[in-house]
Amino acid sequence: MSGLSKTGRALAAMVALLVLALGSVPSAPAQAMPYQRPVETAPQQDAIGGGYKTPAVQRAVPRDYWLQVLDVVLLGAAMGISVWLVLKRRSRRWLVALAIGSLAYFGFYREGCICPIGSLQNVVVAIADPRYSIPMVVTATFVLPLAVALFFGRAFCGGVCALGAIQELVVLRPVQVPRRLDRALGLLRYVYLGLAVLFAVKPGLARDFLICRFDPFVGFFRRTGAPHMLLLGGAFLVVGMFVGRPYCRYLCPYGGLLAWCARLARRGVSITPGKELDCGLCAGACPYGAIEEMRAVGRNCLYCARCYATCPQDGELAHAKAELVRLKGAAPV
Amino acid sequence: MSENPTRRDLFATVARGTVLAVLGGGALFLVKKANGQVVWQVDASRCVNSRLGEVGVTACNLCTTECVVALSAVRAVNEYSRCGRCNICPAYFNITSAVNELGQPSEKLCPRDAIARRPIGKVDPEDPANNFYEYIIDEEKCDGCGKCVMQCKEPLGLGSITLRVRYDKCVNCNRCSISKACPQNALMQLPVSQALQPAGVLRPE
Amino acid sequence: MQYRQVQVIDGKGALHGIAVDGHGHGDVYAAGEAEIKVFDATGRLARRWSTSRPAWSVAVAGDGSVYAGELGQIEIFDGAGKLRDTWRDDKLLRRVTAIGFSGDSVLAGDSADRAIRRFDRGGRFLNNIGKDNPLGGLLIPNGVVDFGVDGEGIVFAANPGKHRVERYTPGGQLLGHIGRFDGNDPAGFTGCCNPTNVAIGDAIYTAEKAGPRAKVYDFGGKLLAVIATEPFDANCKNMDIAVDSRGRVYVVETVKLAIFVFERVTA
Repeated sequence: MSGLSKTGRALAAMVALLVLALGSVPSAPAQAMPYQRPVETAPQQDAIGGGYKTPAVQRAVPRDYWLQVLDVVLLGAAMGISVWLVLKRRSRRWLVALAIGSLAYFGFYREGCICPIGSLQNVVVAIADPRYSIPMVVTATFVLPLAVALFFGRAFCGGVCALGAIQELVVLRPVQVPRRLDRALGLLRYVYLGLAVLFAVKPGLARDFLICRFDPFVGFFRRTGAPHMLLLGGAFLVVGMFVGRPYCRYLCPYGGLLAWCARLARRGVSITPGKELDCGLCAGACPYGAIEEMRAVGRNCLYCARCYATCPQDGELAHAKAELVRLKGAAPV
Repeated sequence: MSENPTRRDLFATVARGTVLAVLGGGALFLVKKANGQVVWQVDASRCVNSRLGEVGVTACNLCTTECVVALSAVRAVNEYSRCGRCNICPAYFNITSAVNELGQPSEKLCPRDAIARRPIGKVDPEDPANNFYEYIIDEEKCDGCGKCVMQCKEPLGLGSITLRVRYDKCVNCNRCSISKACPQNALMQLPVSQALQPAGVLRPE
Repeated sequence: MQYRQVQVIDGKGALHGIAVDGHGHGDVYAAGEAEIKVFDATGRLARRWSTSRPAWSVAVAGDGSVYAGELGQIEIFDGAGKLRDTWRDDKLLRRVTAIGFSGDSVLAGDSADRAIRRFDRGGRFLNNIGKDNPLGGLLIPNGVVDFGVDGEGIVFAANPGKHRVERYTPGGQLLGHIGRFDGNDPAGFTGCCNPTNVAIGDAIYTAEKAGPRAKVYDFGGKLLAVIATEPFDANCKNMDIAVDSRGRVYVVETVKLAIFVFERVTA
């Protein structure tokens, strides 16, 4: 990774120093009024008579716990499928199908909440504040994608993350971002991570969950939102048509953590394993700048499977050709 | 790619194991702290629509406008056992409107017509004033604007209607955007069992 | 007809019901938290004595004895505060919020049962007033039964849920009523349940909550005057009202815990 320029460092420092104090508004005390509490003066069932029964007040309860557990199970399952599809089955088509499925369930049905990206804030608060209670499902949501990344790379990013999926599906004509710029912009993820942690550990009502607040796509998932947030989300998608997955590569704080874990992974996306080729088509196909020296680099690879899909030796086209040749009885090329 | 494990591979394996151990240990630590779900609820003793003391102010509708869900997850709830069952309910009727031939106000208060009124008990069909009336709020229509809550408050009413967060609609944000906007800090986080109790005087933890 | 405020009597603590001395001495008797307080004509607290239970109302009989309506009982004191008799009844006198006299009977308003009880001077129960209707009693979501008695012994009971003052014979028969609901016309009673309190003198005097005010009607039901609106805190509720033989009106302000005295200004 190339060094960051002096201006870049200064900029990052200034951004980090932006402390927005959310002073808590002083609350006005409730006054004590000499009233009879209504339960003593309201007419009771028997006083009303006529066989009247006081209706029960609806107590609207939260979502069942087992459904929350199911969400975690589905998260794990989706990552398992992602790993299998990308590493074993090696099919970009099926990966896109998985992405669409994840977008539909985790994105539009669950409305993008709870997500592993945001869960890092909850984990940070739980460590910092002894009185904060973090549900087990949130801890699991945070830990699972990281654990998978330790072994297989960023399987979460490819086809499971709803924010990633929506960006993945709009990639049109991605430009190759110059390496230095790409790596420099990637540092913004850690700035964002630092800010998110900083604001999450503030006490009481000053606590601010930046990742939730500035999630550009949650407005689409909820089908409602402040106009400026919807515009921002739209802008990200428009930019995403020409710069592959800008939020994932340059802003996602959890992606920064996944990148660190993915460095240690032994398995990952491989292109023509066992062969050394240098046509460079894979590097040209990768919209995320994750190919270095004809190999997918785990920490940047977003598991999109475009690289080997376009490889003339290894991709689906190549396999289809080989199958055709075999069926026709001719010798393989 | 070489088959013999290089120093790099070993380092990676060790590092992986360490990170896994940290993650696992951290997860266990957090799981030990797990205390059950915490949800947002409105404190009726702070909400300006239901707290005693302020009379004649306009109802606050920040719960309607600030909630991130399309139709606010905060709705008006009537604790029926505390309702006076009055003929002229100031939360149902707009009591400043002109009186019709039945001796009742001609206009209703709720802008979304979410309250239903019907006579109960031993019904006297001839004299409407001779009956108790039940006021049921249709939660699907209510948007939490707080007008009925303000009118039901003492001394005008008996304070049986309060604004409550409905958990089948609330997405339980980490930081409720209503809680950020509320000038009285009336939104607070409580364990689910406490949050589901009838509106009394709730004190934050 | 106009009224002006002539005096404010500091209640010296909690104030529930009040009564004025029928002999025109200017003394004001007030029921406190669990005591009876007597204020003289200058507004000074002349004497006070405690009651054995929380007190809600007070009345002064023709012979000067003081009746205190309490939780579950009525205590009868002499003018100096010495206890003479106790009428205890957990069913008929659960919460006595008003006491009055009609002929030889003692009337007690029980807010727990939404009715007025009639006893003879010895404490024997005679009959209920106000219970003989489809609703099984007076409509009092405010939790207070109040009434006044005119010179002929007719009982004028406030029925706030129906926005009217009803006239009953001491035997319990409904004779008629005055008043109606109106949110705009001052001659009507606003809100869900008004008038909360009523007193009878040379006219019908009512006290209301939620837009608190005191008004006076003639016996035909015509509004004669709005006595006052400003001095009352907007949060006042169940303001007891009393009128003496000189036509001075006494109203309990339940937030400031004071008694406001108004006098008619001959217009």
